[in-house]
Amino acid sequence: MNTQVSTRLWALDDALPLLHASVALGAGGSATDPEGREGMTRLLLRLMRRTAGGRTAQVSDELLDGLGSSLSGEVGRSVAALHGTVIARNISPFLAFLADALARPAFDAEELGRLRAEALAELDELLDDDGALVRRAFEQRFYRGHSGSRPGSGTRTSLGAITIEDMRRHHERLLRRGSLTFAFAGSGAEADLDRFASDLDTSLPGQGEGWSRPAFPELSPAKGRVLHFVDKPERTQTQIMIGCLAAHPRDDDHAALHVAHTIFGGTFGARLSQEVRAKRGWSYGAYSALPIDRFRQPMTLWTFPKAEDAAPCIRLVLDLFEALVDRGVSQREVTLAKKYLKNSHVFSIDTPAKRVSLALDAEMLGLPRNHHEEFLERMLAVDKPAVDAAVRRRLSAENLLITVVGTHKDIGSGLEQAIPRLTTSEVVAFDQVI
Amino acid sequence: MKAERLVSLSDPEAPFGRISLVEQIPFGKKLALDRYRLENGLQILTLIDRSAPVVAYHTWFRVGSRHEKPGKTGLAHLLEHLMFVEFEGLSAGTFDAKMEELGADNNASTWLDFTQYQEAFPKAHLATVVKLEATRMAKLVLEHDLVESEKEVVMNERRYRVDDDVEGRLEEALWASAFQHHTYHHPTIGWMPDIQAFSAADCADFYRTYYAPNNASVVIVGDFDPAKALGLISRTYGHIPPSEIPLEDVEPEPAQTAARRSELELPTTTEKFALGFKGPALGDSDHVVCGILAEIVAGSRSSRLFRTLISERGIAAEVRTSVGPHRDPSLLEFFVSMRQGQRADAGLDLVLAEIERLKAQPVSRAEIERAVARSELGLLGSLETADGKAGTIGFYECLSGQPGDAFSRLAAMRRVEPSDVLRVARRYLRLEASTLVVGRPKVELPHDSSEAAS
Repeated sequence: MNTQVSTRLWALDDALPLLHASVALGAGGSATDPEGREGMTRLLLRLMRRTAGGRTAQVSDELLDGLGSSLSGEVGRSVAALHGTVIARNISPFLAFLADALARPAFDAEELGRLRAEALAELDELLDDDGALVRRAFEQRFYRGHSGSRPGSGTRTSLGAITIEDMRRHHERLLRRGSLTFAFAGSGAEADLDRFASDLDTSLPGQGEGWSRPAFPELSPAKGRVLHFVDKPERTQTQIMIGCLAAHPRDDDHAALHVAHTIFGGTFGARLSQEVRAKRGWSYGAYSALPIDRFRQPMTLWTFPKAEDAAPCIRLVLDLFEALVDRGVSQREVTLAKKYLKNSHVFSIDTPAKRVSLALDAEMLGLPRNHHEEFLERMLAVDKPAVDAAVRRRLSAENLLITVVGTHKDIGSGLEQAIPRLTTSEVVAFDQVI
Repeated sequence: MKAERLVSLSDPEAPFGRISLVEQIPFGKKLALDRYRLENGLQILTLIDRSAPVVAYHTWFRVGSRHEKPGKTGLAHLLEHLMFVEFEGLSAGTFDAKMEELGADNNASTWLDFTQYQEAFPKAHLATVVKLEATRMAKLVLEHDLVESEKEVVMNERRYRVDDDVEGRLEEALWASAFQHHTYHHPTIGWMPDIQAFSAADCADFYRTYYAPNNASVVIVGDFDPAKALGLISRTYGHIPPSEIPLEDVEPEPAQTAARRSELELPTTTEKFALGFKGPALGDSDHVVCGILAEIVAGSRSSRLFRTLISERGIAAEVRTSVGPHRDPSLLEFFVSMRQGQRADAGLDLVLAEIERLKAQPVSRAEIERAVARSELGLLGSLETADGKAGTIGFYECLSGQPGDAFSRLAAMRRVEPSDVLRVARRYLRLEASTLVVGRPKVELPHDSSEAAS
């Protein structure tokens, strides 16, 4: 349990008359939404914005627009936050609104009804976006049986089940004294911002009662090579996402694994993009990702070839990944990747908003506040044997989830034949993903 | 004194190496741009910004898909792709590899009126980037196999952005129908058969014609020494001869006198429509007013159509408006995506009713003030990085020749009166000058999902 005062992070600078303010809720994100109530944190953040201080949604929207400001919620798996930006001359009224949104929302059932209908409509819109569809389908299947599978945007069923009383209880759970982390960047007076944070913090319930950061069990992903086909009619192109369990930021070899990801698919010049796009023209893009969270995350590979090229493209990507795991990387690749990581780091910190965002990210993941600077140093210190060892230890070319959005009758059997050592093949209708 | 210094910066060995200071241009209240000109016609805009140890270097060519001929659509965009591949002295892939080694964030884009290339990089690497960009302007190599491979990439991009994308298909159909004479008719990415048919010779012709210093502006923003930068540019670009840019052969779009309507069957679960009215060019003073009108109508959650279609009636999932920021008269566009089971016609009726209201009653001053505040927020947000500033400068330099226009437009927005919005609504939102494309679902859903949504 945690009872300390709220945390403040600063990167103040008057270069532009703009203030960014973020308030992160340490007690949870989508993975802590109760089972059957997926999407609740997202709905709550939206309800808070719309009904701040008992205002109607229309009054709130007009006020925010009139101030030259924006305010929106972001829900990750283990953390949620409100992020706002305001023209500097209107900082005071904006912060007053933000305090109302956080501490004094109205739990208006009619507004919740409108919100729910909008959220359901957004799910339908997602069906038009194959890139979003493949990501959602991959995540649901990859995290199956783990709270990480709970989608931040909810499901048709879960959104329908959420009541205004659920909202009220969820607010009480997430908004506890000492549980918030405030991050300010840009133009503003530190004393004023500090006072805002203190006043807001003391207005929240929970003195002496404490609160908890969420804890998560380890994932147990499916074994073998699983083809998870999302069947959608009339696709001339496929969306492919392949992944295996990989990274945790507290691993001692996480920096080495990040260098491996950079070499494999982290840049345009990386192996994936060169082999899939530059040499063969098979896809407009081919990249890997190595996200971090409070629990272990997958390394994912993403590309989108035309339907006819999907089978050879998947085969190529699997061969490339297997070569990475079996044979590692070259010294030259390590040297170039480290140069890229060192030189490009400045673009993670070239604005006050980016600097404070990195610190906030570290804080919410329970990492040292200077984690990202230290992480760069650690990456620059790794050598080829360390990268090869991290790849062998953390990645598996045998336990892979391969999610494909495409038209199954056209390419399904071809894909099954193209994947060596395929252990499971599943097909799901595209509209069942939501 | 400044003139003497500029002479010393010029490369006496380069036939076009002489640099001249043309003007100083205010950029907001605190900053100022310097415009220089190289003797071969290259425009150079510099802005010092020492807020981070980085530099943004953008090259804007005044060529886009508007310059393409029937049967050769998509050529400007394909060439943009090829401009990352191979150059004299730089084998295939080397350009990008060098950029990555520098830690540069580099990209490019092509649209109707321009093609632009951009890098942001740590400040120590300015000299390398200037040399690479000068090489790119004059020494492109177009080898058959690489052109064929890049055509495949572009065709895949087209599938991604248009053929398998519901909104992409609606948008393409809207512009193709609204513009029947002007080259805005065809999409920047090109028609698929045209992309398939391009040869290396087509690309080479286009490159030789339009990629010349007298058809380009270089924008440099960040923490750099302008004297050193100008000296570098004189030495590296001063040998590139200007080109005879062909007379532009674009046919103006005749006034539209009858409404156009078409329908598409699309692989989607919800009905959608795109409605376009012939609008003003970016340089027209009405463009700013139309921008305010678009904000008031559907620019944010507090806008009129958002409230009507989404919050109150609950029949749409998404609504937005835009005014094309283009050199020639463009489209004032409405896009609406309906909710499950809702007909596009119901949304259209409400949009048309709102349009009639805009033509009959002045908007309130409060609505204008909110629209201006949102625009100011958007502008400030775009200026946070050196790259953002360079993009803003380059866009207006290329489109209007006024690189500080973002601020003059904001000042003009502040002068907009309700009567101005009334006037542009009556002038442009005429049904006889409108084009409508409705997208209907073709998908048979395995279960009745409209039930769950209701």
